[in-house]
Amino acid sequence: MPAMMADGALPLAVRGLRKKYRRGVVLADVGLEVRPGEAVALVGPNGAGKSTFIGCVTADRLPDAGEVRICGADPFRDAAGAAACLGYVPEQPYLYPELSVAELLRFVAAARGLDAAASAAETGRLLALLGLAGAEGTLCRELSQGMGRKTAIAAALLHQPRMIVLDEALNGLDRTSAERLIAELDARRAAGAAVLISSHDLEFLARWCTRALHLPTPGTWRVLEGDAWEAWQRAPSLAAQG
Amino acid sequence: MASPPFLLLRLELRRLSDAFLHPRAAAWIGILLPVALAVGALWAAGESVRPDLSTGDGVILLGLLVSGPVSIQSYPILFRPADDAFLRRLGIHPDALFGLRALRLLVLALLIAAAVTVPYLATGQTVGRPLAIALAGGVATWAVSLWAQANAAASTVAGHGPSMAGRSLGGWDPELAAAGALVFAPIWPLVAGAAAARFVGDAVWTMPLRLLPVLVLSLALLPMGARAFARALPRFAPHAGELAYAPPPDASGGELVVGRGIAGVLPRRAQAARARDAVVIGRRYRWAQRLAWPVAIVGGLAMVRAGGNPAVRAWVSLACGAMLAAQAAAVVALGRSERGRARWTDRVLGLALADRLVGRWAAAFGLALAVALPLAAGWWIGVEGGRGWTWLAAAAATSLVAAGTSLAAAGR
Repeated sequence: MPAMMADGALPLAVRGLRKKYRRGVVLADVGLEVRPGEAVALVGPNGAGKSTFIGCVTADRLPDAGEVRICGADPFRDAAGAAACLGYVPEQPYLYPELSVAELLRFVAAARGLDAAASAAETGRLLALLGLAGAEGTLCRELSQGMGRKTAIAAALLHQPRMIVLDEALNGLDRTSAERLIAELDARRAAGAAVLISSHDLEFLARWCTRALHLPTPGTWRVLEGDAWEAWQRAPSLAAQG
Repeated sequence: MASPPFLLLRLELRRLSDAFLHPRAAAWIGILLPVALAVGALWAAGESVRPDLSTGDGVILLGLLVSGPVSIQSYPILFRPADDAFLRRLGIHPDALFGLRALRLLVLALLIAAAVTVPYLATGQTVGRPLAIALAGGVATWAVSLWAQANAAASTVAGHGPSMAGRSLGGWDPELAAAGALVFAPIWPLVAGAAAARFVGDAVWTMPLRLLPVLVLSLALLPMGARAFARALPRFAPHAGELAYAPPPDASGGELVVGRGIAGVLPRRAQAARARDAVVIGRRYRWAQRLAWPVAIVGGLAMVRAGGNPAVRAWVSLACGAMLAAQAAAVVALGRSERGRARWTDRVLGLALADRLVGRWAAAFGLALAVALPLAAGWWIGVEGGRGWTWLAAAAATSLVAAGTSLAAAGR
């Protein structure tokens, strides 16, 4: 079962998020609420602020103003509370080069305080699901890009997070593994987890997600839902250009 | 269930044991070569780099030799480990992270304390007193560094705006002014290290007794440092990543020319590697060139005018040695920046490891010559029977180590 969250708290709530770099404002008072079971796409061209938005949500970037709550926990004040609820796969995941896949996942389970037997079973299931069965003893520095990403995905899903954030996580995955991962995410969503996903595969996002946060240019944003989302779904590539 | 500090310690040991469990030539060369060269250089330099402990100034100098690198390294060790974001996302408590990083810094302090005793050992001196002084300086610097850096980090993200000291760095750059506390943080441990060294070094017979209060005071500072670290980390850690961001270098300053001057004697492919590396270092680490000239000119003039004075020789050696080390760090940083990125260019171009090593060495040596040449000339003129060429040899050797380490850091 997914990890517990504060009563009534949304998996993700962002209000008035503001971030400025030297070259100008990237995020201007962005607001987004992600409800249980939802899959929200994060779309926009390169440099529009997608990675900055994800960074502010996952506490890898410090917002200038605004509020981020993950299952009710502020990642900048209650890091442990937010970490218990969040599963994040960065675009360039960090894996200890000296550890094997099994060692890394064992460490992740222990650091998260998971039950050893249950997490071992879940690790085995996730590795088989992602096509990594048999690679348990491989050192992380010897993994291919796709295998490294799969390992990071397994590490992010191990604790049954309520809020799953995937930053270009499908890149480098073979088709079978990607389809299995989507099925797994569907099962997690059915159990109440929510997904925020950034990808350049716009057709997939249009097909799979329920809403989107669109960042057309730095400093501008809109939430695509209802008619606007349906219009975007019909021609996502054209809509992204427009 | 293992506690987080124990888990992190076990992870650290497992990572360290990788060099033995899966030995790789590049990893061992990267570790052993700099250690062997540093110890060898300290041993060979012996008399000329050994502070005279019969004077208070010498004792303070020994303390500073230890506290300098420890206080400078405390920031990256405390706030910039590669796995910082990964561990924070796992929800590991800041106290456990602080504990492990404090342990890493302590090991560094002890290693440096041991290293500065090598010249005493090489010249047949007793090692007990220098070791005690160096340990006092190292331990005091360690504790004060942790406390000062953690407090500086906390104040940087507290939202109070830049301090007076921060504003003194220049109102024209608000980001630098906002990080003012971090810029000044290494001063406190430097002073503490020198003071602790002097306090312990003053008493010859009661030195072990004087080490005790230094140790107790240092340990007493740790909880305060841990509290400040826990307060700072959630907001400062992402900010530290942004502080480390370097804007893309502009294309000015030094054009890429292949085979210019003496570099023309290199093989053609190595010439290309040298030209590329020299331009990238020049643009990305411009400070490595800009700082070299004032150090070299002041050092060279000091040697010409007062090279007969051992104290002048010691200070000039220290300043120029530090400059060469800083330039070597820039060369190593170039390799680190290539990790998983630019390295593929060399591979598809068919540049062999030897070409890359020779090219990078030549680029690093060219950079170091700005320091070594004026100094060698000053040494030759100002010191009777002075062997200025040893500075050229030292620059060549440092460049070779830096180039090798840089390529090892770039990875496969």
